[in-house]
Amino acid sequence: MSPTTSFKPKWRVLKSPKNNWSLPEMVSDTTSGTDKRWLPYLYVTLMVIILTTIFWLIGYAFTPVNIALLYLLPVFIAAVRWGFGPSFYAAVIGVIAFDFFFIPPIFRFTVGDVRYLITFAVYLAVAAFTASLALQLRQRVEEARAREAVTSALFALSTQVAAARDLDGVLQEIVRQTFVTFHWSAAIVLPDKSGELQLRAKYGFEANEQDELLEPNVMRWVYDHGQIAGFGTSRHSDTQLMYVPLKTESKTHGVMCIGTTQQLMKSPSNRERVVQALAGLAAVSIARIHLEEEAKRAHLSAESERLRTALLDSISHELRTPLATIIGAATGLIESAEILSERDQRELLQTVREGAMRMNRLVTNLLGMVRLESGMLQLNKKWCDVSDIIGVSICQVQDSLQNRSIQVNLPSTIPAIAVDDVLIEQVLVNLLSNAIKYSPDESTIQLTVAEDNGILSIEVQDQGIGIDPREAEKIFYKFYRSTATKNIPGTGLGLAICKGIIHAHGGDIVAKRAPEKGTIVTMHLPIEDAEGYLIVTKGDS
Amino acid sequence: MGAIILVIDDEAPIRKLLKVTLEANGYSLLDAASGQEGILTAGMERPDLIILDLGLPDMEGTEALTQLRSWYLAPIIVLTVRDNEAGKVYALDHGADDYITKPFGMGELLARIRVALRHVVNQTDEPVITIGPLTIDLAKRMVEKDGEPIKLTPIEYDLLKVLATNAGRVMTHRQLLQQVWGEQNYETAGHYIRVYVGHLRKKIEDDPTRPKLLTTEPGVGYRLVTSN
Repeated sequence: MSPTTSFKPKWRVLKSPKNNWSLPEMVSDTTSGTDKRWLPYLYVTLMVIILTTIFWLIGYAFTPVNIALLYLLPVFIAAVRWGFGPSFYAAVIGVIAFDFFFIPPIFRFTVGDVRYLITFAVYLAVAAFTASLALQLRQRVEEARAREAVTSALFALSTQVAAARDLDGVLQEIVRQTFVTFHWSAAIVLPDKSGELQLRAKYGFEANEQDELLEPNVMRWVYDHGQIAGFGTSRHSDTQLMYVPLKTESKTHGVMCIGTTQQLMKSPSNRERVVQALAGLAAVSIARIHLEEEAKRAHLSAESERLRTALLDSISHELRTPLATIIGAATGLIESAEILSERDQRELLQTVREGAMRMNRLVTNLLGMVRLESGMLQLNKKWCDVSDIIGVSICQVQDSLQNRSIQVNLPSTIPAIAVDDVLIEQVLVNLLSNAIKYSPDESTIQLTVAEDNGILSIEVQDQGIGIDPREAEKIFYKFYRSTATKNIPGTGLGLAICKGIIHAHGGDIVAKRAPEKGTIVTMHLPIEDAEGYLIVTKGDS
Repeated sequence: MGAIILVIDDEAPIRKLLKVTLEANGYSLLDAASGQEGILTAGMERPDLIILDLGLPDMEGTEALTQLRSWYLAPIIVLTVRDNEAGKVYALDHGADDYITKPFGMGELLARIRVALRHVVNQTDEPVITIGPLTIDLAKRMVEKDGEPIKLTPIEYDLLKVLATNAGRVMTHRQLLQQVWGEQNYETAGHYIRVYVGHLRKKIEDDPTRPKLLTTEPGVGYRLVTSN
């Protein structure tokens, strides 16, 4: 849109940028009938004519005083319905009709009895007085109605705004409601991180119109001083829009720019009130969102702080312990090999190996966690036999079993399952290692597989120390170690990785206390994913 | 004088470790710290076996493998890290004889080397292969376990034959498909292997849920384990 000279005045008197609006009631009250202003006068004239006719026909039953009082009737009606003008007009033509038709000499404007002049004067005074009283009453009612309309509009607006969750949603809702309810084009600017005021929401402006209308220096001034300015105010009143600071007690959050018109509301004070209410609502909403965000951030940073501490504790302990044994054993072997028996040397070498294995496990887990968290985990799904995965997993933990035994309950009806076998094997190895770690030697570990309705469940049950039901969920958190197992080395990563892998497969994993003794960890996996792997079996001839 | 082994690895501690242990086991060791140097050394010295680290600083390990395989016929064992199943399969499908994952135990590496060298020696097919309790008579198409004959379907027999002639070596899914089914399309036919390996296990393993002979290498393939 190219700026034209006719544009500025157009904006100021603009009632609505579009023609097809139906104006809300409180606005229409003040503006309706501008082109039919003569109608009340017609009605008043008609009323007076009718009254006069009635009095004329049955007039001799009335005394002139009665008639004069009855002529006040159109005055009251006109005052209540149409205001001061028509009511005074009613008084004047009432007096004239009274004089002309009922005061002798009849059909003459001259007054025979001078006392009637006093009657006229009193009549006019009473008419004027009651008209102004009725008018005041009418204004009060109108004002009250307008105020009520504003209040209910603001109430509706605040309900809508409260329902919006994020900042942009709230701002958009405010400007939209401002436009829908009050027919004011509105825009909200907020400072960005560097303090520059940025347009965040607008409504009711034509495309890019706001670029011409918004004046950055005025916005800046309003934002810095926290005072209203712009069109219709005492400061920067040569601008197109009204600029209202969005202030709460502590600070100014931004500026609301409103394209309003002076004619829009009867009293400027009413408009001021609406504008202030809108700005207050916007400010409180923004402050609310800011506070929510701050609280969330604080929570997050506390959480990441907790994780960092846990990570440092866990890693420093878990890395240093095996390092200490490796370095100790190695230096022992180098420096005092001659005084160590062959058996001692062998034992030291075993320690070195065990320490290195432990570090290897830790590094594997850490890398697994990093891969899961960074979203680098890619599932390489293919059809696998559960028995195959179990076989490989048991083979992996064979060395650490000592005298424990693993009992596998695998029905022959279990179908093939579409998973990433390497990852599921890792989960199973983790679960079996845990079962071994937390259960006594000579005990049995049960591995049970079942299928129900397209969901495969694999259950690992040990006869170990069991689990506190309150911790059943927490043990899957990163770095969480149960207080009951603090003396058993571990990083608190294994189960978190299991959970990550199982979730990536669209399954879940839960832990609970076994009925008699020990812990049961169960994972559920959908047998096929949404893509639906097809099984094609070719007959073996 | 044992076989000559060339180690191509940029990590000095790994080279040193392999040199000490492999020489103690009677092999002669050559080493190279980069892919280029390794390819040069291989060309000049003609080693009997190459141990190639896939994580080389100067070139992609798979690239070094491809270059070596263009003229080098003796076994190549690749060293990889965990979590790189795709890399392992790629290397195996592109000419590597076997792989070993870091960190590895020395016994495991020695077993792989022995298997790889033996396959070079036994190029001519023996008519009878013995693996643990299994005896496979290729001439008569007969399989026995602990002296008892086992009935196998033709496909099961072909599968076992391919695994047995490559005993001790890992066979990728693709290699098995090509050699047993003549199938090229791995994506659609991948499950054949899974099903027939299951059948085969039921017939040759004592406990099919804990296979000792026909083991799975997760994400890579299958291996018929030789007893040493």
